[in-house]
Amino acid sequence: MDVLAVIFILAGLFFLVVAAIGVIRLPDVFTRSHAVSITDSLGAFLMLIGIAIHEGFSLNVLKILAVLALLYLQNPVIAHATVRAALRAGLKPWQREST
Amino acid sequence: MRPVSSQFLLLKATALFVLWIMLSGSFNWIHLLLGATASLLIAWINSGHSPFVPNFRIWGKTILFLPWLFSRIVHSTLHVTKLILNPKLPISPKLLHVKTNLRNRAAVVLLGNSITLTPGTITAEVDDSTLIVHTLDDVSSEDVRSGRLEGKIASVFGNGDTSP
Repeated sequence: MDVLAVIFILAGLFFLVVAAIGVIRLPDVFTRSHAVSITDSLGAFLMLIGIAIHEGFSLNVLKILAVLALLYLQNPVIAHATVRAALRAGLKPWQREST
Repeated sequence: MRPVSSQFLLLKATALFVLWIMLSGSFNWIHLLLGATASLLIAWINSGHSPFVPNFRIWGKTILFLPWLFSRIVHSTLHVTKLILNPKLPISPKLLHVKTNLRNRAAVVLLGNSITLTPGTITAEVDDSTLIVHTLDDVSSEDVRSGRLEGKIASVFGNGDTSP
């Protein structure tokens, strides 16, 4: 059981690292927000599932699921607010020069 | 004295009470009584405004829609991961103007949230019938451009809203 939990947590960690690399490598705020959304879509999801497996069946699993539900509800709102603010402030999205 | 709409009062109180039990995790009678009082009080205070009418048919269909959305999220997460780890960084970001035929405001909210939740696409601006969507490349925006996502959401709300 612990092995399964560790596999899930490591997989989640992998996606978190990818998201961090994406934030560094991508050129502007719009593209970076895509990298950040990996964090909540799979990174935090796999990590929380791993923690839930490690915890076994208890009340804490319900709490973890509640955290997950809130994360999936609120993260799009925050990402949308950030990107909309950038757009309204007149930021031009980065584009490849050749196009 | 605020006008109390007793409709759904018990439902709201029950939902709050379940949340209380989940967060407190203790089953002493004093805690349960405190929780029951608090949830009834909160449900009563909030009963005056925002006529909350749950539509269980749509809730059920939304829950059936979520596994499909999750499979798309996993799919595009893997795609964006490949893009980021590719040394050439082959991205071609664009701003798309997406017309939507959804008229229900909740449906538009669900569409915008689904787009934002999916890595590679993000909703930048919404008005009544147009969404401005920023996309990382053409593969990740496919579901949005082909109207597949919108079609799924229209079938959740089920008014034949997508017909042009």
